[in-house]
Amino acid sequence: MSTSEQTAFAAAGAVDAVKVYGEGDTEVRALDGVTATFERGKFTAIMGPSGSGKSTLMHCLAGLDRLSTGRVFVGDTYLDDLSEAQLTELRRDKIGFVFQAFNLIPTLSALENVTLPMDLAGRKPDQAWLDQVIDTVGLRPRLTHRPSELSGGQQQRVAVARALASQPDIVFADEPTGNLDSRSGGELLQFMRHAVSDLGQTIVMVTHDPTAAAYADRVVFLADGHIVSEMTEPTAARVLDLMKQLGD
Amino acid sequence: MLRIALKDLFARKRRLVTTAVAIALGIAFLTGTQLLSGILSDSIKSLVGDTYDGIDAVVRSSKVQQVGFGNEIRTPVPEGLAAEVAQVEGVRASSGIVETITAQLVGKDGKIVGSSFGPPTIVYNWVEDPQLRFGTLRDGRGPETDSEIALDFGSAKDGGYQIGDTVTVASQTQTEQFTLVGLTGLGKDGKDSGGAKSLQFTTPVAQRIGQIPGEFSYVVAAADPGLSQQDLTNAISAALPGEQVVTGERFSTENQESISQFVDILGTFVSVFGYIAIFVACFIIYNTFSIIVAQRTRETALLRAVGARRRQVLGATLLEAVVIGLVSSVLGLIFGALLGTGLAKAFSSSFTVKGGIPPIGVGTVVLAFVIGVGVTVVSAVGPALRSTRVPPIAALSEVSVDRSDVSRSRLVWGVAMLVLGGVLMGLGLSDVGPNPLVEVGAAALLILVSVALVLGPLIAAPMARVLAVPFAAGGRIAGRLAGENAARNPKRTAATAAALTIGVTLVTVIAILAASLKSSIDSTISSSLKADLVVNTTTFSIGAGIPANIADQVATTPGVKIASPVRFGPVRLTDAAGKRHARENPETPSLTGGLAGAADTAPPGEDKFMLGIDPATFFEVLNLGALEGSPSEMAPGTFATTKKTADDRGWALGDKVPMFFARSGEQELTLTVIAERDIGQSSIYLPMATFEQVVPPGFNIDNAIYVVADSPADVPQVQTALDKLVADLPTIKVQDLQEYAEQQSGPLNTIVLVIYGLLALAIIIALVGIANTLGLSILERTKELGLLRAVGMTKKQLRRSIRQEAGIVAVFGTLLGLVIGIGFSLALSAVITADNPDIFSYRLPVPTLVAITVIGALAGVLAAILPARRAAKLDVLQAISSV
Ligand SMILES: Nc1ncnc2c1ncn2[C@@H]1O[C@H](COP(=O)(O)OP(=O)(O)O)[C@@H](O)[C@H]1O
Ligand SMILES: [Mg+2]
Repeated sequence: MSTSEQTAFAAAGAVDAVKVYGEGDTEVRALDGVTATFERGKFTAIMGPSGSGKSTLMHCLAGLDRLSTGRVFVGDTYLDDLSEAQLTELRRDKIGFVFQAFNLIPTLSALENVTLPMDLAGRKPDQAWLDQVIDTVGLRPRLTHRPSELSGGQQQRVAVARALASQPDIVFADEPTGNLDSRSGGELLQFMRHAVSDLGQTIVMVTHDPTAAAYADRVVFLADGHIVSEMTEPTAARVLDLMKQLGD
Repeated sequence: MLRIALKDLFARKRRLVTTAVAIALGIAFLTGTQLLSGILSDSIKSLVGDTYDGIDAVVRSSKVQQVGFGNEIRTPVPEGLAAEVAQVEGVRASSGIVETITAQLVGKDGKIVGSSFGPPTIVYNWVEDPQLRFGTLRDGRGPETDSEIALDFGSAKDGGYQIGDTVTVASQTQTEQFTLVGLTGLGKDGKDSGGAKSLQFTTPVAQRIGQIPGEFSYVVAAADPGLSQQDLTNAISAALPGEQVVTGERFSTENQESISQFVDILGTFVSVFGYIAIFVACFIIYNTFSIIVAQRTRETALLRAVGARRRQVLGATLLEAVVIGLVSSVLGLIFGALLGTGLAKAFSSSFTVKGGIPPIGVGTVVLAFVIGVGVTVVSAVGPALRSTRVPPIAALSEVSVDRSDVSRSRLVWGVAMLVLGGVLMGLGLSDVGPNPLVEVGAAALLILVSVALVLGPLIAAPMARVLAVPFAAGGRIAGRLAGENAARNPKRTAATAAALTIGVTLVTVIAILAASLKSSIDSTISSSLKADLVVNTTTFSIGAGIPANIADQVATTPGVKIASPVRFGPVRLTDAAGKRHARENPETPSLTGGLAGAADTAPPGEDKFMLGIDPATFFEVLNLGALEGSPSEMAPGTFATTKKTADDRGWALGDKVPMFFARSGEQELTLTVIAERDIGQSSIYLPMATFEQVVPPGFNIDNAIYVVADSPADVPQVQTALDKLVADLPTIKVQDLQEYAEQQSGPLNTIVLVIYGLLALAIIIALVGIANTLGLSILERTKELGLLRAVGMTKKQLRRSIRQEAGIVAVFGTLLGLVIGIGFSLALSAVITADNPDIFSYRLPVPTLVAITVIGALAGVLAAILPARRAAKLDVLQAISSV
């Protein structure tokens, strides 16, 4: 890592995060006391079986949903204290988000999609940074295209560029490669890795693919709403091993 | 299949209701106004029936003159006729009747009782026989001396009078006072208030005020017990072969019809707007179904894939249309009943609404259901057919939105329809073809459909982007999104805007025509009238005018150089052109039966209004351009006209032109003056001496006196003197030219306001349409809205963006309407100008048109408020994960 001080601060985190859906018999504890921090300038992967609470955790961290109890923070802000409008502004200015699919507004060009959060804020994008991001994800020739004229992989790259463009405190990506073939998926992961290593960004990504997780600096394992394990410097093989272990 | 369709329908109750509301509003309006005219004509019939109850036969002159708006005036009969009728075998009682409209009742507050447009004020003589008398005595007694009066209790109340009070009556000759001795009413015990205001005097006073000294309007008779009306009528006719005798029943029916005619015209006028509203609603239904079908493509295709036949899919959509049609009809009928009874209550001040509210007629219910269901099904057929063409394979692809291209064939069709519409409009407006009115209507329809539905989609997208520019200025993304969203589905945008376009087109045409007419009136007055002041009548009722002695007093007022009175009266032109007119416009067959003796004797011709003038001064005060012939030659038995009328009818100086007057019969007048300019008033000018002898009683009264002062400096002094002269006459005002012009165009303003009010309905329906389309589009874009919110669009920005989108669609519709409206108005004005080259000038009321545009835009924004709120309330995560 380039600067060790930065890593000392968490870009985002959760403390005793509990999220309960439903009541009584139908009660589901999607998050059951999760405490975790996500380091600045690091690429973290969240893994776990389907239904283990990965998306829920990510939505709560990103200000798209609220916890039942516990706290989550991004940068120096506790999200639980914020009003609906403040949360919206936080998402716009401090957080980037990449969904599994349908990330782009079909009526806007690729470039307009990238700058959308800043346009919504009425801010001018930092042109040098924007150029860097666009080049990193290799979008330059496609900027004026509409989403319908882009391939799935290109669309996800535009989404990553949008998430990075406003220099947010942290980017969340929920299975960003889930709908892509392995080649496009690999490319996308490569770009995300670049963004972290070379541009100093912070990314948290949900995935259930060990190969994808291997691009990360650290992997956090969730099961039944609990953090059950974690691993640094992951490789696909080690992740797969651990998954097998946990599965038993 | 049926089960699926119904399930689908009730799963979307909100859509069902909003769609139904559009049609329901139109139906409510239509049935409401029908109900109203039904209520009014029923109560008028029963009132008239009550009024003439007890009369078995009427003896009257066969000479009759049409005086406009379906009214006719009969020549009076000699007083002695009453005695002759009384002698006839079978007559139990008889009486001469004075019935004229030559006086107004002045209230205690000094104002005329009743409005110009309400029921008339009628002068009667008091008839001793209660059966033959008009109305029933409620209180007091009938007038016994010439200084006494009886009033109907409604008018007495309106005027603030009680028995014993001194009542002021403004007759055509003077304002006089009477003592109120009795109150009358209608019905058995006089409890019902009558439609008309009745003033009853002793016979000599009634004859004097009615200006028929020594005459009666007609004579009425009651039969001996056991004798039928028809037998009595025949008996009288046999004894008095020269007169026309009609049964009491026929007499009553004639009167009912002349009043109901007015109510019918009112009803027709208003229901035209009901049909416009329904036409607008059709667009909305069509649009809604198009969207629903597009959104359901996948579902439909899936059904087809699992084996549903096309007919079944078609059936499902049509079933939905039928249900919406039924719901609309029921809603419409309920609203309509409320509207009708509400309006009837509001009208009850001018028309007495008798008895309770009658139940809604079967005809009205049938009409509502036929229109409600018919219109909905017809509007849904196109989209429904399209839904069956969805190939099953579409089920496998993404939810498809209607993105069919704006093709070349669309352009060809649109232009073809436009040209055809233009040609038809030209033909209709220039009176070529079998039915010009139908041609113009069809042309307007073609042009509207072509522009709105066929060509509209071609320009909707670029227009939406242009209109979004101000919202998107400075890189505001919400504004840009609004423009893109309005542009993304041009057909939908065009169809949604079309509903508004129709209303705006009509409003624009009316606004331009009104402004043009007003400016034409103003400029005609300022260019032709050389008077300094006008002594003028401020009520429009027939029979209102300036008492006879005023003209002389005006003329002798110090500082007055010229005082030139004019009168209005009816004339039937029986020249060749008039006879041709009568052949081409045959009169509706009059009542049959119940008549004996002389039939009506009016020869065929064209009914017009004429002016009685003072030839010596009239052409000094009114500039009609160069004159052929000299006013000094306008002796009794001559007349003047304008060049246009002379040319149109083929008259030349010195011609003897036949004219018919009920009072004096047909006679020939010599054309001695032809004026160059037409000024839009009547263009037949009779010298006063002749006019006085030929017009029916009631018309022999100055309508206006044009006054020229010795010098401009004298005007204020003259005005003061004249004001004093007419101070006691509540209906007479001294006006300068500007006030005079305002009074001339005053009724226009009222009519225009009423039309605006009615068209507002079409616009409200268009708004329901915008809200509906927007709601459906938002549903379609749920995921996208969720994404926008996720990446940081605030609720406020989202709401604004949707409002702007609606505003863009609305402005697009409004601008289209403005353009089409201006086009229509130009076509109309070309025709009007051709007929009235001297008078009509086209005028674009720019501020009004700007206001229309702003209102259109605001209306769109208003329509978007609810859909925008609903969109902003979407749960972000749910929206994003929605299918
Ligand atoms: N909106 C919701 N309502 C009810 N239960 C939900 C909702 N969202 C998620 N859950 C439940 O919470 C649990 C965790 O879900 P999620 O976070 O989506 O898991 P993952 O992303 O790890 O597959 C699951 O059992 C899921 O069924
Ligand atoms: Mg998930």
